[in-house]
Amino acid sequence: MTDPGIVAIVVFLVMTVMLASGIWVAISLTAVGFVALFFFSPAPAGSLLASTVWDASWNWALTALPLFIWMGEILFRTRLSQDMFHGLSPWVGRLPGGLLHVNILGCGVMAAVAGSSAVTCATIGRMSVPELKKRGYDEKLTIGTLAGSGTLGLLIPPSIMLIVYGVIAQVSISRLFIAGVVPGVMIILLFMAYVAIRAKLNPGLAPPFTDRLSLGERLSRMRLLIPVVLLITLVIGSIYGGYATPTEAATMGVVGALGLAAWSRSLTWESFVDALMGAVRTSTMIAFILVGAAFLSIAMGFTGVPRVIAAEVDSWGLSQFELLAVLTLLYIVLGCFLDGVSMMVLTASVVLPMVKAAGIDLLWFGIFTVIVVEMAQITPPVGFNLFVLQSLTGRDILRITVASAPFFFLMLLGIVIIVAFPGLVLWPVEVMTAR
Amino acid sequence: MRRALNALYLGAGYLSGFFLVGIAVTIIAQVAGRLLGYTVDSTETAGFCLAASTFLGLAYTLRAGGHIRVTLGIRHAGPVLRRWIEGWCLAVSIVGIAYFAWWAGDLVWFSWQFDELSPGLLAIPFWIPRSAMLIGLIILLIALIDELVCLITTNDQPSYEANAETVLPAEDAGEVARP
Repeated sequence: MTDPGIVAIVVFLVMTVMLASGIWVAISLTAVGFVALFFFSPAPAGSLLASTVWDASWNWALTALPLFIWMGEILFRTRLSQDMFHGLSPWVGRLPGGLLHVNILGCGVMAAVAGSSAVTCATIGRMSVPELKKRGYDEKLTIGTLAGSGTLGLLIPPSIMLIVYGVIAQVSISRLFIAGVVPGVMIILLFMAYVAIRAKLNPGLAPPFTDRLSLGERLSRMRLLIPVVLLITLVIGSIYGGYATPTEAATMGVVGALGLAAWSRSLTWESFVDALMGAVRTSTMIAFILVGAAFLSIAMGFTGVPRVIAAEVDSWGLSQFELLAVLTLLYIVLGCFLDGVSMMVLTASVVLPMVKAAGIDLLWFGIFTVIVVEMAQITPPVGFNLFVLQSLTGRDILRITVASAPFFFLMLLGIVIIVAFPGLVLWPVEVMTAR
Repeated sequence: MRRALNALYLGAGYLSGFFLVGIAVTIIAQVAGRLLGYTVDSTETAGFCLAASTFLGLAYTLRAGGHIRVTLGIRHAGPVLRRWIEGWCLAVSIVGIAYFAWWAGDLVWFSWQFDELSPGLLAIPFWIPRSAMLIGLIILLIALIDELVCLITTNDQPSYEANAETVLPAEDAGEVARP
């Protein structure tokens, strides 16, 4: 048997060459798994490939994924995004920071629907950037709030990212969804507080909202927003209450979304097929990566590399905090080159055993990872939200990065808070399971 | 030939969508069954629909530019070098998927030979859902070869580049086709 250190280096090199030369992520993962198994273990690579990928591909936990994606695609094709700006603005206009809060809250709601941060950012940004500019809002804060809040899609349930993590770490998706709620709300509040403080200190950044609207008018502007928020609450609530598995809740979400689309007269045969095929593209892409990663993870297990790396890191004698600090740094660096899903599945086979050995709760670690991945979405050179805002505003990437930087640090603060108070993540889950 | 191939990819894509709806339908059957007092176990059928949806959608998603890749390193390559890089990516993928499809075929053959049954209430012969994996991989293989042939014989951009649905209009704005 070859020395695991050499295997680790070879695997790392092959992976880097394949990914950097543009080979599709899913195919790279599978091929690297094959290299590890074929050259460095006595196991039969071919038949293991077929049987591992097959087993991973009909995983029950994964069935929630395409359904939640489909629900988002349906709602996305209604007039929801138009409602978002006009519906939310009368409610938050009076807060210090005014309509900047529409960016944050709008992204929060859209995030729950779309589950993808770039889409969230683009949808809300397209509505709000021209409006905020017209009213003389500070450009840096407009861009920064969008970049930061756009990433909420990764954390706020029903989050695609949490499903992906749940599948690879074998953690219950219901519990992850519940654990994600409090940190998600906490990050929204951090963003809102930051904007409010900045606007209090310098009122010129955000002119106050002056339109006065009656309650009836305010409600009628939220025609589609209210039912959508109710639907999301119902979906998450049914999981929280233990009435439904994530897959059942997702099915309910799809049926509800179709109902809302029909009610708002945006459901046609065309839009139905459009939404369905959009869901096919996204869920096929993610599922293909996941099954490739499942094979890679089995292959790495055969070579013994994760064990050796975990033992090596263990011998450094890092405390839990130091380990988390190192991992945060690792993910932020990786996030400069890779997207969130790839990052998470690539590191899983090595990082998860290490984390488990250090006595860190895998449920808590899921929320931690997703927040770090969120931060990676706004780090150059590969930060999706930065690109979206670049094309939306026509400003260069450097200015957008600078504008987003405070929100990057706010998320870092969020991480520090959940490290200091893990109960924020774990307590709601304990309450649920105690019943 | 071109039209037949496009129809194949699109047809498999629609079939993938059909199985995605299938997941929802089996779940609805399970919930309805529970309310009416019947036992409908959809854990397996939903899983099989998921697998079928994933594999049958592979080629369609490839053509639409849906599979993600890292383009940071190759984005600034000149047009000639870029064609060589695309050729390399396609060639590696063709070899990899061909090997995978071969062993998927082996798996289907043996589950048919030995009458392997799924462990759930329905006891479905495993070769049926596993064939969806095999068929999906073969269609993906055809799509990859198709792209390579077009790359060599024409001057067109590969379809996964040309059809990529990005959130962004600018051409060098996205690293990865679809986040």
